Amino acid sequence: MVVMDQAQAPAPPRGPGKRAANRAAAFIAKKVLALIVTLLVASLAVFFSRFLVPGDPARFLLRGRSPKPEALEEITRQFGLDKPAWEQYLNWLGGILHGDWGRSLTYRQDVSDVLLGRLPTTLQLVALAAVFITVLGLFAGILASLNKGFSDRFILITLTAAGAVPPFVAAIALVALFSVGLGWFPSFGSGDGGWDRIWHLTLPALALGITYIAMVARVTRSSMNEQLLREHVEVATSRGLTRGSVVARHVLRNALGPILTVSGVLVAGLLVSSAIIERTFGLSGIGQLLVQSIDRLDFAVVQAIVMVVVAAFVLVNTVVDLIQPLIDPRIAAGTESR
Amino acid sequence: MTQLLTIEDFTLGFRDRPPLLDSVSLHVNDGEAVALVGESGSGKSLTTRAALGLFPGGSEFSGTVAVQGLDTLTASKQRLMELRRGHASMIFQDPRAGINPVRTVGDFLTETLLRFDGLSRAEATERAVKQLEQVGLRRAKELMDQHPHQLSGGMLQRVMIAAALLNSPDLLLCDEPTTALDVTTQAGIVKLLREEQQSRGMGMLFITHDLNLAASLCERVYVLRRGRVVEQGGTQNVFLTPQQDYTRQLVEATPVIDVAGLEAPAAAGVPLLEVAGLSKTYQLPRGDVITALDNAAFTLPEGGSLGVVGESGSGKSTLARLVVALETATEGELTLRGVPRPRRALKASERKVLAKDVQIVFQDPYLSLDPRIPVGNAVADVFRLHQRQGRKQAKVSAAELLGRVGIGPERFDARPRALSGGQRQRVALAKALAARPRLLVLDEATSALDVSVQAQVLELVEELREQLGLTILFVTHDLAVVSRLCSQILVMHQGGIVEQGPTARILEDPGDEYTRNLIASRPRPLWDAEPVTA
Amino acid sequence: MTLAVQLPQAGLRRYGSLLSPMAWSALAVAAAVVLLSVFAPILAPYDPDYVDLNNVLAGPGAQHLLGTDALGRDLLSRLMYGGRTSLLGPTIVVIGSTVLGLLLGLVAGWSEGWLGKVLGRVFDLLFAFPALLMAMLAIALFGKGLLAPILAMTIAYVPYVARLAQSLVVAERSRPYVQAYRVLGFRTPWVVLGRVLPNLIPTVGAQSTLNFGYVLADLAALSFIGLGVQPPTSDWGAMIEESRGALLGGYILPAFWPALVVVLVVVAVNVIGEELSDRIGGKLS
Repeated sequence: MVVMDQAQAPAPPRGPGKRAANRAAAFIAKKVLALIVTLLVASLAVFFSRFLVPGDPARFLLRGRSPKPEALEEITRQFGLDKPAWEQYLNWLGGILHGDWGRSLTYRQDVSDVLLGRLPTTLQLVALAAVFITVLGLFAGILASLNKGFSDRFILITLTAAGAVPPFVAAIALVALFSVGLGWFPSFGSGDGGWDRIWHLTLPALALGITYIAMVARVTRSSMNEQLLREHVEVATSRGLTRGSVVARHVLRNALGPILTVSGVLVAGLLVSSAIIERTFGLSGIGQLLVQSIDRLDFAVVQAIVMVVVAAFVLVNTVVDLIQPLIDPRIAAGTESR
Repeated sequence: MTQLLTIEDFTLGFRDRPPLLDSVSLHVNDGEAVALVGESGSGKSLTTRAALGLFPGGSEFSGTVAVQGLDTLTASKQRLMELRRGHASMIFQDPRAGINPVRTVGDFLTETLLRFDGLSRAEATERAVKQLEQVGLRRAKELMDQHPHQLSGGMLQRVMIAAALLNSPDLLLCDEPTTALDVTTQAGIVKLLREEQQSRGMGMLFITHDLNLAASLCERVYVLRRGRVVEQGGTQNVFLTPQQDYTRQLVEATPVIDVAGLEAPAAAGVPLLEVAGLSKTYQLPRGDVITALDNAAFTLPEGGSLGVVGESGSGKSTLARLVVALETATEGELTLRGVPRPRRALKASERKVLAKDVQIVFQDPYLSLDPRIPVGNAVADVFRLHQRQGRKQAKVSAAELLGRVGIGPERFDARPRALSGGQRQRVALAKALAARPRLLVLDEATSALDVSVQAQVLELVEELREQLGLTILFVTHDLAVVSRLCSQILVMHQGGIVEQGPTARILEDPGDEYTRNLIASRPRPLWDAEPVTA
Repeated sequence: MTLAVQLPQAGLRRYGSLLSPMAWSALAVAAAVVLLSVFAPILAPYDPDYVDLNNVLAGPGAQHLLGTDALGRDLLSRLMYGGRTSLLGPTIVVIGSTVLGLLLGLVAGWSEGWLGKVLGRVFDLLFAFPALLMAMLAIALFGKGLLAPILAMTIAYVPYVARLAQSLVVAERSRPYVQAYRVLGFRTPWVVLGRVLPNLIPTVGAQSTLNFGYVLADLAALSFIGLGVQPPTSDWGAMIEESRGALLGGYILPAFWPALVVVLVVVAVNVIGEELSDRIGGKLS
């Protein structure tokens, strides 16, 4: 009965398709621009974080190593520490864009080489975890949402418990049960390629994913529950659609938005948590590299990995933002914002 | 004549709670239009949904609800789906909520045709386009590819009707299908529904809270109150000679335009509010400019009552918000009590002074009170601020004022949640009056209330106006409501004032085309000489 | 459609009906863990760092209620002392991020101009740095220990609170009741701090409660990989790390107890947080 006065948006001009195409192009351009700006500002933050540490930057970078004059000189030359801060930043940024990520003190190698060598393991681990998360998370969420009563409560309680298990605890528990106890899966190493790799990565991926499985399941459940109450679902039912059609076409389809939004957060979370998991399972990925580099005070590597993770997060979020209008056309029109 | 829909002794409720529907019995014959009238919470939606076998989860029910002999209480899922696909359709209240926003109009229309009737995509599209054209939508082919947010509310409701008619149902169920729409849009939809119902010989069950609307569409009526049918019969009989007290109250509370009963406007006194050349434009991010209010000019004398009437987007709420300084004008003069309003955001001290001149009551009773503050304190706060009263004194004053608007002392410590919609609007009124303003702006203040509650609140406003010598600016979409309270009317359309003058003159002899359309759009009973026209 | 008119209830009963039995048990678990940790110096049966090599990896018994670790240290005592470090970090982070986040969120939500937009962008940017990553960067800069990660995570959790507060304030600001306050002539600071802020606290509180669990898990994880609390100081995460050797040898208990406590506390905190947000959600609808 509430009379919408101001809130009712005027129907946008229904122009020819060209206008819609222009609008889509503008939307994409805006998002890409935002991506670039965000990456630039993030790179500023990552680079200048070093300047928070008081004292001589050369000595900071050489912590834990003998500060011989020639070493200090070397590090000063390598990082350009004698130049003004903004020039150091521009050099660093220019280097990154050209694939020159600096040199690792520990490995006496280019950081990019060290990273590239480690990246496949981490990507495989994260990918396998993502598969577990998508399959198990969506399945549990849908099941809970569609079966009210006992199964909903049971799944919800399981999810609350699973969501509270930190990855490292899950790792320990899985090792205790499946490696030490039952001996089904290995507790260490990444194995050879193919199935052996997957076999080796199963426990780590599960440990890595368990919190996020719970998270995706919860979001799926609540997003679907919210849609199930919507009037358009009742309308669809009233028109004689089968339960399956209603759920697939009108509930799940509309519930995708929030699930997709979560997946942006998820990728960054997986990359960071892989630091802990890789260390526990002795996998040599970038996560373990990060921990080792912090341990060995190899700041150039730490900086590079932080930048990679942040970039991954920003990139995935941009992709998610670009997909959202395909799921909900109102977002492109600007009448609905998330 | 066979019975199309038969409901007998239908009772529905939740365990351990009083039933929501209590032995409801009604029937709809072939080709007959029947109204089901009731206020919110009367159970009219539940009754109608039962005809399609839609029940709230976890509810328990008994009795019979049969459509063409199929009892929906016991029918199998398969039979129910066949019924919904082929024999009975439903039109819902809010088309914007009722059509999946992420799918196209074409998808919405064709999904049952493609899935269950075995039509090819081309056939289904052709049929849908034809149906869209039949319900009066132009450029139907283009519409098929559009999403709901690109269509206006009236267009969407036509889409919903087209979808309901696609399978030529025998029974059409309508759940307040025009409540979310403007009056002029409503007139078109009502006309369409009546025409389709007559030409197809469909049975129709039409749910509404609006007696006038029921009278304009249906031959027979059932009056529902708290889950019970209290009265039934021919629409004319029930509305003209109601047998039950409740029906009588409902008929009396329903606002009607009574030109004869209008008092002549008092001689113009000292101007309290003067508006000249007032405009408000909004700059949209994409560079478009929206003119919400365009060159408005009027004068409201001290002690007068001015009704601002318009549909959504007419600029009437913008005008109200400008008067209370919630918005700043882009151009023009606004003078209150001889003080010109600066064209900038007001300073805190200026706002406090202004508060003693003008106050506002908003539309939504659920949002217009602070959810955390007990109502007594809410009113006392205003006394403390404006009358410089101490805590104790303010409480006494608040108690006195709340009593005056009909809120007893037992409610002082209640949070707004514990109050009904009508009670909340009374509290909102008291809060506004505690500042002792000269001008009171009512922004659709009774639109969200049930008719009987609306009548009580209107009566209260009238009473207070006389007692306190208030000047009233009443913003509303409802001509009848405004005719009851205001001696002057101002009609707005698309941001501009199209006409203003004494209420009786405007209603009897409207000078503007739009005003005439607005008045003609009000539903007329079937038994009235004039046919329903838009 | 309101089915039942709710009358105001007096005093404590309102809060009694506010929580489900599950939430009450969660509250009891949380309270017990906090009390045992706070009063560890009085209650703990042993010195948590006392090494007894004659009594390594002992099972639960009368002497050692929960057994001993690979160095013969009493597990119960280490758990109780460990709680002091393990709970202190999240407490600081949650209080800090809540206060800062509320403040920034209020400002961002209330200011209609550029300030709100700029703050919104800053929150967006901060979201790109996951808390654990921020903590690791801080450790890389300032060295191992608890202080650097706690400060870093406080900042990392600010946007979670601030974004929520901002969106709530924006929603509240346009509500008629807030506009009525303006028209009534109440001053903005009074409205924002006295009326709008208290309406945000339940929702923000629920979010912060959930944050507590995440922070606890993250800080424990840092100690687990050896970047956080340094031995011999006891900490739940560090205890699990110390017990890995014993675990691979088949001695599960030294790792099991701290893992159980971490999970229990996080579950308890999540249950309370979710219960709160469910209640608020139910209230608003």
